[in-house]
Amino acid sequence: MKMAIQGIGLTAGFGSGIEALRSALQSGRAASVTGNGEQSAFRADVSGLAEFIPKRALRRIDHFSKMTLLGACLALKDADLLDADRSRTGVVIASGYGALKTTFNFLDSYLDFGYSCSSPTHFSNSVHNAAAAHVSIQLKTTAPSLTVTQFEMSVPSALLSAQQWLAEGRVDQVLFGAVDESCDVLTYCREQFFGSGEQGPLQPLTFAEQSAVAGEGAVFFVLNRETDTAPYGFIDGVRMGNYLVRPTILPEGDQLIVGADGHKECGRWYQQLLKGRKVAAYSPLYGSFPAAVGFDLAVAAVSQCDGKLYASPAANGSPAALPTQKLGGEQLSCLKLGPGGDYGLIRLST
Amino acid sequence: MAGLTPIAITGLGVLSGAGMNLPESMETLFRNERHPHPPFRFSTDHPVSYPVLELREEFKLPLDAGETVYARTSQLALVAALEALTDAGWNVESLRDKRVGVCVGTTVGCALNCDEFYRAYKDEEQPDMKIIERFLRSNPAAVIARQLKLDGPTQTVVNACSSGTDAIGIGASWLRAGVCDIVIAGGADELARVTYAGFSSLMITDPDPCKPFDAERKGLNLGEGAGLLVLESAKVREEKKTRGTLLGYGSASDAHHLTAPHPDGTGLKQALAVAFVAADVTPEQITFINAHGTGTPDNDRVESRVMNDVLPGVPFVSTKGYTGHTLGAAGGIEAAFTVACLQRQEIPASIGFSTADPELLTTPVQENCSVFGDVALSESLAFGGNNAVLIFGRGES
Repeated sequence: MKMAIQGIGLTAGFGSGIEALRSALQSGRAASVTGNGEQSAFRADVSGLAEFIPKRALRRIDHFSKMTLLGACLALKDADLLDADRSRTGVVIASGYGALKTTFNFLDSYLDFGYSCSSPTHFSNSVHNAAAAHVSIQLKTTAPSLTVTQFEMSVPSALLSAQQWLAEGRVDQVLFGAVDESCDVLTYCREQFFGSGEQGPLQPLTFAEQSAVAGEGAVFFVLNRETDTAPYGFIDGVRMGNYLVRPTILPEGDQLIVGADGHKECGRWYQQLLKGRKVAAYSPLYGSFPAAVGFDLAVAAVSQCDGKLYASPAANGSPAALPTQKLGGEQLSCLKLGPGGDYGLIRLST
Repeated sequence: MAGLTPIAITGLGVLSGAGMNLPESMETLFRNERHPHPPFRFSTDHPVSYPVLELREEFKLPLDAGETVYARTSQLALVAALEALTDAGWNVESLRDKRVGVCVGTTVGCALNCDEFYRAYKDEEQPDMKIIERFLRSNPAAVIARQLKLDGPTQTVVNACSSGTDAIGIGASWLRAGVCDIVIAGGADELARVTYAGFSSLMITDPDPCKPFDAERKGLNLGEGAGLLVLESAKVREEKKTRGTLLGYGSASDAHHLTAPHPDGTGLKQALAVAFVAADVTPEQITFINAHGTGTPDNDRVESRVMNDVLPGVPFVSTKGYTGHTLGAAGGIEAAFTVACLQRQEIPASIGFSTADPELLTTPVQENCSVFGDVALSESLAFGGNNAVLIFGRGES
């Protein structure tokens, strides 16, 4: 069953809202790497949330959930559904790591002050589905809610379930989101694994080089079963599997947007599987994080809407990069690879 | 939503504080025994030592995992998955030409709450990255899929305490959609200092063995374990006898509070309503209920009210007195118990219950008792206001 994309909302290093993404795609400029102290990462600004949710209601809500709420509200606004009844709207959220800062804040509470001083607020907000709960509480979505954490495969996996909910008639529409946040501990881990110097530029199609820069953000889609009206086109299907167990066949005629994000190890997997095929990659616009596949999907949807495939930013003349081109009848697919041969393929159509 | 195609359950695997496999756990349940004790696997400076239900023995992974070390949650999941596959008559090699999905619920298994690493990081002691490497290779669904060399969708559901229940409902939907031929679905969670501290901070942990639905209940006991089911498409199952059938799944959100259920149980009622429609059965057909029954004042009050409203007079049991609250694993373990109890037409006493709460209109079964019928129900309530319900049909074997 196809899923119609009725609206998109997002916040990341390039700004907030679909026009911010379109502007970044049109300019072809990678977002500037902004820092907080020693950190380098694409940061999301959540100040726009004040337009949708009273500040009082946000007092105990952490940055991760604020990004989530902002993405969800922007998607509903984009779909002109802010005032609609949401009793049959499901919430599906994919995240590689969940609310990291709050997870560590909770550990701070007992490591610093003893177990009897553990913070109940930090604990309850560190539970992975807290962000989905805030969405359902603030936006009054009483249908099913699902949070999936599958590292690199979080987005295709969660999308598969959103599709089944719609197909089985459990919901009339799904607020589907992908969210991850950056934090100091993650930065430390990245430095230990990849060495310091995540200053950019992120060059995802230079597969053999480590150029990843941590990012964060939230992207949401309003999906439903409409067959006629879909401003951003349709998601035809999701395929997941392991290409080392059973070789996967990539759709031949499709333009591929790959989730390569400047990690040398992952770059090797793309190189092996793509075998010289030209592709597009947009991680320089939002940075490297597991849920960034959701942003790849947003780029694909905007490209369908605009009828053109945008140039891959920071491609630097890479022979792997597809040129800017008008889209004819060809379909777009988003490909994400994970360790051990895992893959997720999301296929779209107009 | 109309009635959905029933899904065959061909194998069950359980690892819990009640036993190291399903038969052992069932024996413990029907002997009405439980073994709560202070945690052995970690220590805290908390002034109260809350009892927990840890596994009674150490276990060894039955597969050669080489040098790979997985986090405990994933090890639990793997052991239960192998028991379930064996129960279903599959050996790992025979799965090679099948599309096999894995859908596992957890909480601890996906949280980067490695407090020893973080303490060293805070103290600028250059913590060992092996802890993080282990976390990154220990996503429970991915571990099962990679270790068994499966090709199919994988999903780790992190819906707090309804994760295992949701994972089974989602896995069934993959089969109905033809996404795969077989699904290994359920939940797994290890006991951890972080959740121990967290639930203590919320003041919903009983300093004594827990007492679900009792007038004197003070909260939950944490537990650990895994419960996995093998679900099969009709094409793959052919003539194989079933352990049971998954008839329906429903879920809904309270949209009310981060940690407390809606006082009227609106989300649970909605989840029940959806599950009944999906299963195409009526409340009158339900033989017994495996209740969420954590032993917390709020949960049991709301759940009791809903059961009284929607399923009046239906016998129910909370098995958390035997296993503790295993969080993301609970839905998987309790689904396996429900299917197994339906098969033997008998449910165990709801251990810990002795005094009826005048505020509650229902009481759980106080002795092992026979049940007569073909349909049973398991329900889960969770942080975040998630509510999930599974309805099972009796098996043939």
